[in-house]
Amino acid sequence: MEVDLFQQGVDLMLFGMGTVFAFLISLVGACYLMSRVITRFFPESVQAEVPVQMAPATTVEPHIQAVIQAAIDKHRSR
Amino acid sequence: MEQILKLWSESGLAQIEMGTVVMMAVGFGLLFLAIRKGFEPLLLVPIGFGTILVNIPGAGFEAAPIYDAVGHLESPGGLMYYIYNVGIASGMFPLIIFMGVGAMTDFGPLLANPKTLLLGAAAQVGIFVTVMGAVGLSSLGILDFSIRDAASIGIIGGADGPTAIFVTSKLSPDLLGAVAVAAYSYMALVPIIQPPIMRALTTEAERKIEMVQLRPVSTREKIVFPMLLLGLVAMLLPSAAPLLGMFCFGNLMRECGVVDRLSDTTQNALINIVTIFLGLAVGSKMSADKFLNWETLGILGLGALAFCIGTAAGVLMAKLMNRFSATPINPLIGSAGVSAVPMAARVSNKIGLEANPQNFLLMHAMGPNVAGVIGSAVAAGVMISMVSGF
Repeated sequence: MEVDLFQQGVDLMLFGMGTVFAFLISLVGACYLMSRVITRFFPESVQAEVPVQMAPATTVEPHIQAVIQAAIDKHRSR
Repeated sequence: MEQILKLWSESGLAQIEMGTVVMMAVGFGLLFLAIRKGFEPLLLVPIGFGTILVNIPGAGFEAAPIYDAVGHLESPGGLMYYIYNVGIASGMFPLIIFMGVGAMTDFGPLLANPKTLLLGAAAQVGIFVTVMGAVGLSSLGILDFSIRDAASIGIIGGADGPTAIFVTSKLSPDLLGAVAVAAYSYMALVPIIQPPIMRALTTEAERKIEMVQLRPVSTREKIVFPMLLLGLVAMLLPSAAPLLGMFCFGNLMRECGVVDRLSDTTQNALINIVTIFLGLAVGSKMSADKFLNWETLGILGLGALAFCIGTAAGVLMAKLMNRFSATPINPLIGSAGVSAVPMAARVSNKIGLEANPQNFLLMHAMGPNVAGVIGSAVAAGVMISMVSGF
């Protein structure tokens, strides 16, 4: 009986760990595949975000940017 | 005079026994830990109070309904009896909580770096080593655990309250009180248990490793992921489908963006309501005959062991991956593989900051952290399908 219980424990450990790893490894593979398919064939939602983030940076006109840079330089050199 | 004697014989003082007094003290102890020390108060306050209520002699909170021979209801039974049977014996409360956890989980960091799923797998080693520990103690004749008990004790190492309650209520309901208390107390102790193990297994240089910025993950990937996970579960491991199915459902409600009202209820109102009843129901299993024995001490000890081994296995796996990976992996994020969301990830971040104040590991650790939730649910599925035959 006791040997039997111990054997059950060993079985549970081996099969259990095996299943957990096998399942999560296949999930890793599935995730990579899914991400690759989506970023290649349905990329809009990622691209849509990029121009929104870029927009504020380009609204600063060059001469105003130069003035800001000069002010920062002056502040740093003190 | 007869009336007075009857009233006296029904009073608490006349019926009190040593066991119930000790259990009420245990209940007050849990309340103290929750209120004064801040240990998982959301769970331990209801559990502690439930423990006190159910141990009031003669109050009949746990009484089953009684029917006479013809089938008429003679006495309807107690509140706790119904809460327990509706919510926990059926497995409903843990599953609803899992749905709420799914609705609170952001899989972004995991999708940005899917190989961190392996850390969530490695940290489940603690579960199975603890099963062996329980079986070993039983074989040596020190304590008396069946294989079902051993599986329930091991799942404490999953560091996931609802999963532990789900498995234990299916496999050995008598241990539910001890297992739930152990699981939630150790989750509260994560910031104390984990850091020494993490420091011991890593070098200063390894703790300083900075990881590359995670890529942004599109909404579409986040919407597809729960369905991908559900599909894999359905095909490979249906016994984990109740837990992971509800988890995926909650997550899909969060990410799809068209049912924000449902997602909001699931994450807040519903999970709070269910938490109250879950706590009370777990408390209702804290009766003297089931809790005051050497097995409980064994469960508390083995649970701590499960936590430590899980943490160590996660860190060692992360070290191994760092050796073979193209991008550097800080071994500290491995410990977050034991779920306990988000506490374990915060611990990884904190230890990382101690070694290198510029190193923010929190988002990197969230990947293994949610992977741990999936890993422990998978482990739970395997245990239920393998053990319930015995």
